Amino acid sequence: MATGERIDGVRSPRALVWERRRAAAGAHWAAFRHNRQGTVGLGILTLFVAVAVAGPMFIDQASMEPATADGPLLAAPSLAYPLGTDNFGRSMLSLMVQGARISLLVGFTAAMGTMLIGASVGITAGYFGGTRVDTVLNGVTNWFLVLPWIALAIALTAVIGPTLVNVIVVIAITSWASTARVVRSQALSVKERPFIERSRALGAGHRHLITRHVLPNVFPILFANAVLMIALAILSETTLSILGLGPADAISWGRIIDDSFSAGALSAGWWWWLIPPGLAIMSVTLSFTMVGFALDEVLSPRLRSR
Amino acid sequence: MTLERPAPQGRGSAPSERRARGLRGALVLMAVVATALASTAAPFAGAQSAAPASEDLALRVGVVSDLITDNPWAVSAGSDWVVVTLQYDMMLKFASEDLSPAPSLATGCEENANSTEWTCTLQEGLKWSDGSPLTSRDIAFTYRFVIDNKIPQYKSYFPFNPTFETPDDQTLIWKSEEPTFAPDMPPWVYIVPEKVWAPYDGEALSAIKAVGNTPSIGSGPFTLTEWNPGQGWTMERNPYFWGEEPEVDRIEYRLYSNQEAMITALGNGEIDFADGLKPSLIASVEGNENVEVQRVVSDWWLNLAFNFGGQGADADALPALHDITVRQAIAMAIDKKAIAEKVYQGTATPGDTIIRPASAYWHLDLPAEEEIAYDPVAANELLDGAGYADTNDDGIREDPKTGEPLELLIPASQDTTGAVESGELIDGFLQQIGVGVDLRPVSDNKMGDYWGAGNFDAYIWYWSGDPDPNYQLFVFTSEQCGAWSDGCWKDPTFDALYEEQRAEFDRAARQELVFEAQRRAYEQVPSVVLAYPGWLQAYRSDRFTGWVPAPGADGYLMPGYNYDSVVALRSVSESVAASSGGSSGIPGWIWLVAGVGLVAVIVVLSRRGRRRELDEA
Amino acid sequence: MGSRGYVARKLVQAGFTLAFVLTFNFFLFRVLPGDPVGLLAKSQRLTEADVAGLRAELGLDQPIGRQYLTYVGQTLTGNLGVSLRTARDVTATIWSRIGPTVLLVGLGTLFSTVIGIWIGIKGGWRRGSRFDTSTLYGSLALYSIPEGWLGMLLLLALSGALGLFPAGGFELGGRTGTARFVDVLDHLFLPVLTLTLGYVGQYAIIMRSSMIDVLGEEYVTSARAKGVPEHLVRRRHVVPNAFLPTFTLIFLNFGFVLGGAIVVEAVFSWPGLGLLTYEAINQLDFPVIQGVFLVSSAAVVVFNLLADVTYGYLDPRVRAA
Repeated sequence: MATGERIDGVRSPRALVWERRRAAAGAHWAAFRHNRQGTVGLGILTLFVAVAVAGPMFIDQASMEPATADGPLLAAPSLAYPLGTDNFGRSMLSLMVQGARISLLVGFTAAMGTMLIGASVGITAGYFGGTRVDTVLNGVTNWFLVLPWIALAIALTAVIGPTLVNVIVVIAITSWASTARVVRSQALSVKERPFIERSRALGAGHRHLITRHVLPNVFPILFANAVLMIALAILSETTLSILGLGPADAISWGRIIDDSFSAGALSAGWWWWLIPPGLAIMSVTLSFTMVGFALDEVLSPRLRSR
Repeated sequence: MTLERPAPQGRGSAPSERRARGLRGALVLMAVVATALASTAAPFAGAQSAAPASEDLALRVGVVSDLITDNPWAVSAGSDWVVVTLQYDMMLKFASEDLSPAPSLATGCEENANSTEWTCTLQEGLKWSDGSPLTSRDIAFTYRFVIDNKIPQYKSYFPFNPTFETPDDQTLIWKSEEPTFAPDMPPWVYIVPEKVWAPYDGEALSAIKAVGNTPSIGSGPFTLTEWNPGQGWTMERNPYFWGEEPEVDRIEYRLYSNQEAMITALGNGEIDFADGLKPSLIASVEGNENVEVQRVVSDWWLNLAFNFGGQGADADALPALHDITVRQAIAMAIDKKAIAEKVYQGTATPGDTIIRPASAYWHLDLPAEEEIAYDPVAANELLDGAGYADTNDDGIREDPKTGEPLELLIPASQDTTGAVESGELIDGFLQQIGVGVDLRPVSDNKMGDYWGAGNFDAYIWYWSGDPDPNYQLFVFTSEQCGAWSDGCWKDPTFDALYEEQRAEFDRAARQELVFEAQRRAYEQVPSVVLAYPGWLQAYRSDRFTGWVPAPGADGYLMPGYNYDSVVALRSVSESVAASSGGSSGIPGWIWLVAGVGLVAVIVVLSRRGRRRELDEA
Repeated sequence: MGSRGYVARKLVQAGFTLAFVLTFNFFLFRVLPGDPVGLLAKSQRLTEADVAGLRAELGLDQPIGRQYLTYVGQTLTGNLGVSLRTARDVTATIWSRIGPTVLLVGLGTLFSTVIGIWIGIKGGWRRGSRFDTSTLYGSLALYSIPEGWLGMLLLLALSGALGLFPAGGFELGGRTGTARFVDVLDHLFLPVLTLTLGYVGQYAIIMRSSMIDVLGEEYVTSARAKGVPEHLVRRRHVVPNAFLPTFTLIFLNFGFVLGGAIVVEAVFSWPGLGLLTYEAINQLDFPVIQGVFLVSSAAVVVFNLLADVTYGYLDPRVRAA
């Protein structure tokens, strides 16, 4: 039977499940909307995403190439160039808009990578909790947890080279362990619930249990964690860029900070080259964190105000 | 760091007494640790000398590259040269006005009739910094050491298998198989004590270069006395120096990890001299009336070198680069003026020939009609005419002979100021003529790797050269393939010109030959000389005066080519005599007050908290 | 299982982790493209014979298994190799630079944890109060600032513009006694301020969350029902229980503090391990990068072990788990 079909007025089991989930989501959304932190964060976020998606369409590509950029060099903000220009004569405003795209891209994809690895390991370990599979996976997770991320990131980047793709990979590899830990403990608690045992008594296999029961119950906390991970990924990319390990083939906000610092913006007083990218990173990170926090509160009843 | 909530530990409350005690214990432990840290900071800071006498006059210099070695045979990076230049002497030195040979350890060298034998006379009473006598034997030993142990970077100073004789302590005879002016160039080799280096004579080159911690015994005005890797080093006056006694007693070098910090320190008065500044930093000191900037005329040039693929079996370069049309088109497509403006902010001049401008007599300044002008349209026509069409319409031309696209792999040195930024500009320029660029910013170590394997198409690096043009021309000759040559360019015409100028004794005639060689290199485009970047130094004019720039008025203030400047410095006022300086930093008593205040605040806060608790009870 | 068994178990785990780190370190750098001896040879212009000799000396002509064993043996005896750039012993180099980093990171962690925890306790206790809301937003804002950029701003404002503090470095040199102590303090202030501001937000938020969690527990409600005065509820029941998991997280996140330290040292020219790493990155000086990686991982492992053992002492429930 197809999903949602009504047969003689009775809905199929799957339809029931989805309707229940939709209702729950609706309730969560309503609670989220009442959370001031969350809505403010989401608002800022939407603004940045809109700029990242639509902004570059308004930029003339030729003016972004060092060779063909024709603005005045290192000019302070003016009407023509609201955020001033950089050392090649490119408009800072345009650079910031393009940087939004790269920085958000890094944030999202790196967090996705982190989620994929972390969730797979965490769910498997939690579901098979107590067995050898769990011990091994948990051991690996703990190993990666104690490895200081920056040392590992430096070592990896020194070996594979600093490109955009490599930076995303490096961030994902150095961040998945904490996600795995969170997911594992959630999966462990889900595993203990009675309906799992009942399903197994009915003959359900591992794959069915994991995809139909464990995953949906782990999902909310995973989602909240993912949002926080995006913030962390953006901060990590900034740190790597400031150390000179950022993407050499794309201009992210972190790289603008590195470029401007290396060129002497600090002492020469070219504040418009150094300050806006930092403020942008701060705003985006802050908004992701606020949303993540709000999600955490919404999805965990204990944190809601009594 | 994620902000995840700490996982709950289980039901019930942990025994409260122990926890409370544990909490207090943790706090106490942290306080103890903090105090311990603060008080043990001293031993970790590295060896510190006892406080010097307060009458010592110290010159404080800021640098951004650390001293790697004081081994004169292994010097490579910028700061290494500084120590060696101050600690040792050459037999004849470079005169400050024009880098011509001037008396140093030797008062002069006389040639015989056919210039195959030179007799050099040393000064009387020369001593090493440990008081032992410096004789002609040390000079002969040093030169023999270079030749016998095949120290590569000094090889070009000893042509025609010279031998050396020392009939007495003050005389050195240089015997050459062919007529030469090598002793008068002068050879840029620093004289070292025989007794220090004799034990290493005959060892493998890598072993010689690896020698560290040799005693700092030199004949120059200052010797290395203290060295804290990562922080800096100090050189003290040599009491046995043969020349005029410097007023400066001590030179302290302070390492900064970036130039911003260094220039701020200069502005604050923490240091007296800052070397090697980025153009952007000049703006920040321009307003300061106590800081002067020295714009040094360029003695190096930024190089886009093509690879002709002869370094070894696996050397792999684009065959199209062998076609001079392609190289000329590339040269035409690069706007050197834009590089000088955008990358160097006007402190560089557009490049043309391979001999640097600082060698004023030898540098060929091409007249405008002979130069390859910036003309991307003409460049495109040139390539069209030669058959390099874009067959698949992807914006990149293809080589008609191989069908491969004209894509250049270009490593650019991150350690060379402006190389990477210039590379980014060149990427854009070459796009306009349908040549693709894969730019790879890498460290100098990795550049060496690319060079050695020969698996690049062009690279962006630099050449520095000597005052005498011989060395710079030398590195472009065919036989230098695999040794100094960038990309194994082999041109018999150029090689012949090099040999001719090397044997030419008449200065004017030689200049003609050197000009011819530069023209040849310009027309054949083994490299595109992108720019002649200047060098920027800044100093506090309210602290020292009497700087002697070399070469000429637009020369380096600090070594450099010689140490005349440092020897001639005089302090500006009496107040300078005190070795401590720097107007930044908070005076000690403020720290004391702050500390007491902090303790008071903590006490008050905790007491107020307790009172509120009692109120609630 | 008694406490001794717990400690033993944690020691064994730490040992395994260290062994993993060591192995990982070795293979990571053997995978690197390019030949370390080749790099050295080109930059020093060595001859063929020299290169072969160097290769034999470094043991690079041995099979990989033997190289691994040599590496383990060397590391366990404290030999971490020789720097490609300075030809100096890596262990000695690291040892000479460890002091300033310990000072910087130690003080920074101390201040940020103490202040952060205090804020978190106060905020969590009176949730929704003005103090709580303002510090929460403040903490979130501080958490979101990249430390390197924050350092640059402080340098710009307090050193460049106002000239209150030196522009970098550890000390001016040439002083002893109290004058030297004050000089180091002057140089220490801005980097420590940067680290403190960079991490205080996180600790405040974590402690606050922990407080809120514990406040919802049954035993707190029952303590209140029993009539225990508020300040005692807080001091005896809430804070210690909230502190425990925070304590562990602080140590677990030490790895991040190390990262912040590297950037801060680079910005302020602070001559510690972080700056050493930064320079080694730029020079592709692999032995040094490898050595620092090993040392920092080992430090984190040791810290975690200490945290686990202390935690076990403070909370017997964990030992029984």
